[in-house]
Amino acid sequence: MGDIAKIYDDYKDHADFLTVYVREAHPTDEWQMKSNVKDDVCYAQPKNLKQRVDIANDFISRFKYPLPFGVDDMGNAAENAYSAWPERLYVIDEHGHIAYRGGMGPFNYNPKELRGWLSARYGEVKHDDAKPAARDPAKPL
Amino acid sequence: MTLFWKWTIGVALALFLVAFIGLSLMAGSPKDAYGMVRYALPHMHRGKLKVGDDAPDVRLVALNGSDHFHIRERTGAKPLVLVFGSFT
Repeated sequence: MGDIAKIYDDYKDHADFLTVYVREAHPTDEWQMKSNVKDDVCYAQPKNLKQRVDIANDFISRFKYPLPFGVDDMGNAAENAYSAWPERLYVIDEHGHIAYRGGMGPFNYNPKELRGWLSARYGEVKHDDAKPAARDPAKPL
Repeated sequence: MTLFWKWTIGVALALFLVAFIGLSLMAGSPKDAYGMVRYALPHMHRGKLKVGDDAPDVRLVALNGSDHFHIRERTGAKPLVLVFGSFT
């Protein structure tokens, strides 16, 4: 998710972004994982839209999540149309066609690949932390 | 019971056990293996969308819980990156 926020920061002038909040992947009443407890992310699967919207808002405030946001309704129309559960990435081009289809999450959810698509089109965005470490002046070359 | 059926059932049970142990190792524990099979795998689909297809339009709910908007309202000027996911 940090990856996505960074990609958003780097490319938001070139592309629009929209997060679509879908059914919980690891709610307390289904397949809860140890990491959920450790990270204090414990929610039951929402039974109504208000519960789902409330969790989405918790998520945004906890991480100060910057992307524009929409919530899938309780019929899970977006999840079904995009085969998007539990997580997935797409790009829709200016003509309304699928331009990039990410792999099925979680195993093939790959923000790096999305960054690759964006950088192929708009150029790479370099970060200071990506630079090689400065040479230690005490050591000869 | 014939010998054939004894062997068939034995082999099926052995395969099931091996699969369950394998899944348990992959998922982290037997409980996770059960969770994966019961709650995750049935909902994970590759889907039929391909690059070049018309992007499906879907009506979404805004964060105030009452307003709605369509994915298509956000497309046109620039490419639209869609990020699907949940908190948990």
